[in-house]
Amino acid sequence: MTASDAITIEQAAKRYGGLQAIAPMSLRIKKGEVVALIGPSGAGKSTLLNMLAAIELPDTGTILLDEKTTSLYRNPKDLAKKAGIIRQQFDLVGPLPVIHNVLAGKLADWGFWKSLWSFIFPQEKQAAMKALERVGLSDKIYDRTARLSGGEQQRVALARLLVQNPEVILADEPVSSLDPARAKDIIQILVSLAKSENKTLVASLHSLDLAKMHFDRVIALRDGQIFFDRKSDTITTEDLTQLYQLTEQKQNAT
Amino acid sequence: MQHKLMYFHSKTILTIVMLLTFIASLFSVEWGGELVHAGGWTTMLQMIQGMLQPDFSLEILKLAFMSAWITLAYAVAGMTLAVLFGFVFGVLSSGILLKNRGASHYAVKNFFRGMLGFLRAIHELVWALLFVAATGISPFAAIFAIAIPYSGILGRVFSDIFTNVPEKPLQSLRANGATRLQQLLYGYLPFAAPDLISYAFYRFECAIRSSAIMSFIGLGGLGFQIQLSMQDLHYDEVWTFLIFLIGMVMIVDLWSQMLRKRLVA
Repeated sequence: MTASDAITIEQAAKRYGGLQAIAPMSLRIKKGEVVALIGPSGAGKSTLLNMLAAIELPDTGTILLDEKTTSLYRNPKDLAKKAGIIRQQFDLVGPLPVIHNVLAGKLADWGFWKSLWSFIFPQEKQAAMKALERVGLSDKIYDRTARLSGGEQQRVALARLLVQNPEVILADEPVSSLDPARAKDIIQILVSLAKSENKTLVASLHSLDLAKMHFDRVIALRDGQIFFDRKSDTITTEDLTQLYQLTEQKQNAT
Repeated sequence: MQHKLMYFHSKTILTIVMLLTFIASLFSVEWGGELVHAGGWTTMLQMIQGMLQPDFSLEILKLAFMSAWITLAYAVAGMTLAVLFGFVFGVLSSGILLKNRGASHYAVKNFFRGMLGFLRAIHELVWALLFVAATGISPFAAIFAIAIPYSGILGRVFSDIFTNVPEKPLQSLRANGATRLQQLLYGYLPFAAPDLISYAFYRFECAIRSSAIMSFIGLGGLGFQIQLSMQDLHYDEVWTFLIFLIGMVMIVDLWSQMLRKRLVA
């Protein structure tokens, strides 16, 4: 465990009833690394990300977020400074205007009265404007969020993450409901943001092309275990075929 | 197979049974002259006549306007209190402000649920009678009689609306470090607002009706005038007052539609 680790996983495991979602695994991700998480459905990608976000805790083993065990982040406001998560596009508050969804990233810093006041006179509007400019949505600042397209909504979620400004950005299938062009666009913004601000990024993806093209390191999960963990330029088609092979075939082969 | 098919037909069978029951019940009605009492037909005719020619004399219109104003005032005052209490109790009994799902969570939730049940168990007319007995005929009797059961009803429905808010956006607010109160502000309220408002308006309609009925026990307002005119067999006046009542309810309905449209659009 070195000082430059953003995430350290030590023998962490998670079960849901009879299902072993994550088998005991160990993993280290350095600060500023840009990591893609791939693997077939049900491999444990979401569970792993939820555990990294301290939304769920491992049954056994530990997960350290910036050298502190996730179970010790008692205050959600401290946690929000460390790790932020972006999911599919359905996690915005649709009836609110874009600016309030973006400023929700500031709720960790604000007290109740400031958040109430901000409804009438948006506070720290500059920060929200800056974030929206970076994702290219500065003209939609007062639009009702639910009226935006799927790609635009995901950009709003990115802007919110920018305003929240966590050290580690976690992304759980951020583009799975978007068409390939929009998906590429969002991933590009996400990765360039992480790199320019020197943030750690862990994103689960279905698209292998995106993973190979934009990420430095690719971790493949299968059945709750690490299948491979490599630099993205060393991954072969062979690896991927094996990773996504149907379980039945694998059982027949062995 | 046969078993599954029967499952699909169970509703149809129930419908047929209920239809047969209804038809059978028609045979037990005495269709002779006893169905309507002796003067019944004449009274009904007079009522229809009154409906076709309501009394629109200036005097009655003035009276109707004043009584409608009183009825509306009771309803507005009662509903204002009911919305305030209903909102607070609804939020508390929905459990959205309570952090962990421990024993205390259920204790608080069930306490407020029970309170709401108690408030709405007794009809507004009974409350009105109780208040009139205690404080005499005063506007407060009518206002509190509406406010108490309506807080219970609003609180219960508000609480259900809050628990039906989509879970995903709230999870992400939590990940943003929002406190429970901030979640209420930035998550629960924006999602719930259209439903809260449209239900409150529906209840406002009900409150106008209740307020009119309340005046049957002497609390003034439209109901009181309807009762007086009925006793004098002035059905044309009764209809004038009824038209005012219907008009008020329709205006409230239109207003709520306009507001909801703006919120949902």
